[in-house]
Parts: sequence; C-alpha cells; structure tokens
Amino acid sequence: MASHPTTPGARTHTYDAIVIGSGISGGWAAKELCELGLRTLVLERGRDVQHPGDYPTALANPWDMPHRGRLPHEVVRANPIVKRCYAFDEATAHFFVKDAEHPYVQEKPFDWIRGYQVGGKSLIWARQTQRWSRFEFEGPARDGLAGWPIAYDDLAPWYAHVERLAGISGNRDGLEELPDGEFQPPWEMNEVERVLQSRIGAAFPGRRVVQGRCAHLTAPAAQHLALGRSQCQARHLCYRGCPFGAYFSSNSATLPAAAQTGRLTVRPHSVVESILHDDATGRAAGVRVVDAHSRQVTEFFARVIFVNASCLNTNLILLNSRSKRFPGGLGNDHGLLGRYIAFHNYRGSLTAEMEGFGGSYYSGRRPTMPMMPSFRNVRRQETDFQRGYMVFFTAYRRDWNRGVDEPGVGAGFKERIARPGPWEIFMMMQGETVPRHEHHVRLAEDRRDAWGIPQLVTSVGYTPNDDHMVRDFLAQGEEMLARAGAKRIHGTDDHRNPGLDIHEMGGARMGREPRHSVVNATNQLHACPNVFVTDGACMPSTGVQNPSLTYMALTARAAHHAVAELKKGSL
Amino acid sequence: MQQAARLAAAYVGTQLPIATWAAMPASGAADTEIERLLDQIGDTILPATPGSPGAGEVGIGRFVLYLTAECHPPETAATLHEALAGIRRQASRRFSRDWSTLATGEREVLLADYEREALAATPERKTGWLHLKGLILLGYFTSEAGATRALRYDPVPGAYRGVVPLLPGDRSWAP
Repeated sequence: MASHPTTPGARTHTYDAIVIGSGISGGWAAKELCELGLRTLVLERGRDVQHPGDYPTALANPWDMPHRGRLPHEVVRANPIVKRCYAFDEATAHFFVKDAEHPYVQEKPFDWIRGYQVGGKSLIWARQTQRWSRFEFEGPARDGLAGWPIAYDDLAPWYAHVERLAGISGNRDGLEELPDGEFQPPWEMNEVERVLQSRIGAAFPGRRVVQGRCAHLTAPAAQHLALGRSQCQARHLCYRGCPFGAYFSSNSATLPAAAQTGRLTVRPHSVVESILHDDATGRAAGVRVVDAHSRQVTEFFARVIFVNASCLNTNLILLNSRSKRFPGGLGNDHGLLGRYIAFHNYRGSLTAEMEGFGGSYYSGRRPTMPMMPSFRNVRRQETDFQRGYMVFFTAYRRDWNRGVDEPGVGAGFKERIARPGPWEIFMMMQGETVPRHEHHVRLAEDRRDAWGIPQLVTSVGYTPNDDHMVRDFLAQGEEMLARAGAKRIHGTDDHRNPGLDIHEMGGARMGREPRHSVVNATNQLHACPNVFVTDGACMPSTGVQNPSLTYMALTARAAHHAVAELKKGSL
Repeated sequence: MQQAARLAAAYVGTQLPIATWAAMPASGAADTEIERLLDQIGDTILPATPGSPGAGEVGIGRFVLYLTAECHPPETAATLHEALAGIRRQASRRFSRDWSTLATGEREVLLADYEREALAATPERKTGWLHLKGLILLGYFTSEAGATRALRYDPVPGAYRGVVPLLPGDRSWAP
C-alpha cells in the first residue's frame, strides 16, 4: 500500500469481497459470493432503488402521465444521446443517465446509454436471454480472430445455474446453433407470426424461426416465490420497473437473494475512482471511492474484487487504476486494456404488410418476439463478410395511430381507427461486429468529471464488414418476407451510432495468452489474479446472441472459482 | 426528468387527466378561444359515438396547446396556429361564414377538404395538419374515456394469448 494513503479505520472498511457495480453481472457476483460465505460489499455509484417501492410509474395509466409518455422538448434538446434510446420516455427517464450528468468524449460517435442506480441497467434491459452456441465460441478462432479460452461445454452448467434463478421462458427447439436451456413455459406466437414461421421454414431449409427466450417468469417456482417474485402479467411496461418482480433484475432477484445470507452490504452513491494495487504482494488491496455527493474519499479493502461497472466503465476504472507496477492501468502489461471494443450491429430493419387474417387478433402484451438464430457463416465461411447476424421480428395489427396518415374525419373514421387495422411486420438484425485493435476507449488527458476522474474517450466505429452485413440482411430479409407472402416491404439502414445497441463489449478481453488478452479463462486479470472482470468488458467477441445471459453465467462461474481459490489459499 | 417522475407519481391514482389539463393556467382570452376552436375541431374529427364521448369532451383543446408548448420546438406553435387560421379561412371561403356557426356536417366537409389539400400541399402546411391531427388522436385515445371506452384498456392482462378471434365490433387494445 506504499503508493496510497490508508483510510483511517481500515478494519471497519474491510470485507471478504468487493463488487463494483450492481447491474446484471454485479448482482450475480454479489449473490454467489454471499451464498458461498463471503462478506461482500457492493459499491454502486448511483442512488438506491428499492424493489418494488421505487418504481414510481409502474402502475401509471396512459392518462396519468402529463405528456402521455412523450418527453418535454427541453429534455429532448438537452439529451441528444440518450433521447435516441427506444426505452427512454416520460415513464422511464428517471432510470437513465442524462447526457449532461456524465460527459464523455466521442472521438468517433458513440451513443453511450447508461443507468446509474442500484440495479443498473437490469431495470431497463430488453431481457432477451439466449444461450450462445458452440459456433459463437469457436467461430472467431476459425476466422483468424482472437479465440475464446473456454468452450460452450465449460459454460453450459453455469447457463443452467443462472437460468433457474433468473427464470427464462422459451421452447426447447433442439437447435445446435441455439442451445436449449432450463426453461419456463414459452410465450405464444400470433397467427401471422406462425404463418411466417412455417412459410420461411418451408422456403429456406435450415432457417428456423423460433420464439424468443426472455427473462420473464411464466410459471414461477418455489425459489422465485421465496424472493417475492411472481408471474409475468403481460403488461410489457417493463422499463418502468416491474412491481411483480416478473422479469429478472438485480433488484428483484440477485440482490434480495444475496441479502438473505446476511453477508451483503450495498453502498449507493459510491463512485469508484480506482482499484488499489499492493506492489508488495502483487494483489489488489481494495478500492478508492469518491462519495457522489460530498466528494469525500474513502477506501475499502478485500481479498477479492469483482469489476462489474458495465463494459466501458469497467475499462475506465481499470485504466485509471495506475500504480508503480501498472503505470498504464491495472493489468495492462501489453497495452491491450481498452482495446478491441465491439458491439452489435442493429442498423438494418424492415417493415412489411401482410394482407388478410382480419379475423385474427391477440390479447395481452408480450415481452419477447420470434427470432431466427444466425444462418450465415455458421458452419463455414459463405459470404463476403465475416461472422453473422440473427433476426428478430414481430407481427401486429396497426392501432389508432394509422389514423394520422390515413385521411378521414367524423364518426365513421373514429369507429374505423378504433378497431384493429391491417397486419404489419417489423424485422430487425442483430449482427456480430469484429473487434479491432483501433476500436478503443482511453482516458482523456485534459478532461475530468465532477468527481475528479478522467473522462472516457470513445473511438469505436463501423467497418466495411458491417456495411456488407447490413446489405446482406436487408436482401435476405426482403426475400424471406416476400416468399412468406408479405407486401409493401421496405428496408432501412438507419446508420445509427455504435452504442445504441447497448451491447458494447470488450476492452479487457479473455484469452489464454497474457500477451494477447487481459483476463484469463476464469475472468481474472492475468497480472493481478484477485481482480475479476465478468461484465461485457471481458468478451473477446460479441456473438450474434444477446449477451446478458452469458455475463450472468461467466460471473457465477468466476465467483465459484474465486471462492475455491481463496479456500486453497492461492489468492 | 426527476420532475416527470415526480409528476407521474403524484398523478397515479389521484388526478384524472381532464383535471390535469383543466388545472393548467389558461393564458388569456385569445387562448380560451383557440382552445374552444380546437375542441370543436377535435369533436369533428373524433365525435361522440355510441359508448364514447367526442374529443372536445375530454378537453382536447387544452391538451393540444399544452403538448405543443411542452413537447415541441417553439416554432411548432406557429405552424399549429397557421393551420387553425387556414381552417378558419376555409370556412369563410367555402361557406362564407365563421367556423363557429357551421353545422357538424359542414365542419366535416370542411376538414375533409382541408386535409386532402394539406396532404398535397407544401411541407409546412402538411406538417401543420399532421401535427394537429396527431395530437388530437394521441390526446383522445390516451385519455381515460378514449382508452377505456373508444378502445379496450386492460392494465393487467395476466397472460398473452397469441390467437384470439376478432369479432365484429371488437375494438383495439389501448396501449
């Protein structure tokens, strides 16, 4: 501790483990570490959010909201970044970071969407939770990119472990490119989605439409009920926080489970400035925290530190953790920290109409939609771009909104638009992007935030590979919709900024070789093994599937490894 | 946006929107007159029909003015007022009378004509009409009466059923 002043009263500031961040992966770290017997401190930079009392809009009717869900112009004008997020509206804005509160430097445009509160973005995530397949773990190495140090089979039992508590709904589809899990009962498809499923399947052998898998309880088990969680009510007002605890969040699931052990301390308003390295032992000793309000600096100490601050903030904290041993940031022996940042390519989408089926409708609001696992470059390279994409789509009947564009006034018009309109289809891509050395984040040399911490510079962008992938999706999507009988098909490349996918990954990637990676196969910094990185920062590739379930599984696996190593005395 | 959250929280279970809009300070006689005109336009586009009130009855005029002021750039108000002036001019031109004296059927004919022309006209004129009509539809179908009586509102569906027959007369689900 030579390089750092020690906080008075260090003994009372000592825990067995510290977890930085309380979002999806931090919540899992806390739960596993507490249940394995460690007194665990969770540091959260934002305010506390108690489940379910702190969801002020959860039960609001449309007419209870003064702007009917829209945001005041002043808010939109002041938030050019977060306003682009589909989930940011009058009912949810209190769970999103406003642009002016936490500035960063966009060397290349990057929409960094953040949720600073206990629970983090687990309160406002989209909850789609597919397992990754062996093709996603093996594919990058096949293509000459950085390989994963673990295989699907290493993670499979941990997927099962986290699925049971989180509660994942889905069908057992029996697909190698989309492994089955421990599922709650699936959500239904509507009639037009079933038609698309059968027609696409018939016209394109090998392309399978399945129902999406989401972190919603459709048949809660005893362990869910014991945490106060109950069945999803199909309201789909999830981004406001769920008073039923029906979707998985840290607030409804992992933090209550951790608290039940009596070993959990959650400390909100705690901005982690850096991780303290003890050059004498070669281990991290603790963390330095700035109080979000008073700016007072405190230090906390532990034998194990989990960094789960969200992908880019984890990078920021590690980069800012400079010591004599690590002048370029903790664990950054080879200049790789902050590099190989990637994300998901959401640029392509299509809309179409399906004629007929006027006698069919649906009831309730479903929190997921049908999907197609990747059908490009899965088993071999087939296209002019590397890696692949998956597809989400949904079919629905137009509502009264169509009356804005559809001419008409009077009683007949009102009665017409108050009834379900034609069927429309929305289809979108989720594409893997290839991590590149030049796509990086770093600390700004001349700009600091309100807590004296250097701001982050983002330098992440698209490549021609991404453009080719968008073109392929738009062509394939149009062909699939046309063969399925849809009309008036319209494709769009919206050229959105990276980051708006909210699937940023990398910067402290996993790997076998310390020369080519930052953390090892059990998520420990190669050069400082009592520091674990298990959020998006650890990902050496992005896959085509949503990443959160994989963060959960990696975190649970790493936590068990940490405790086993502690017991052996090797940490 | 903590303010919006606080507002929304305060409204839950306490005040209805009609009260909310009505409680907003009216800013003088001119606005009261515009509000009345908007209520009448609202009632022409979305009149009372069996089982549900017209848009004027849910206070649509105040809503249109409120949302225009709150949720749009300052210049949108001018676009809205230009659309309203255009509708009044059309009344004089077509019927040689003031809008306020027109019968329901005459107002319908006027607005249908105005819409047809606006959609084919300059971008500004089209924008003004779509703004007006869009807010009337939004305000009405998200009002308590619009959502629960003109549409079907189910705040807690309990389940999603993928295939439900649509019977004659069945209305859309309110969001």
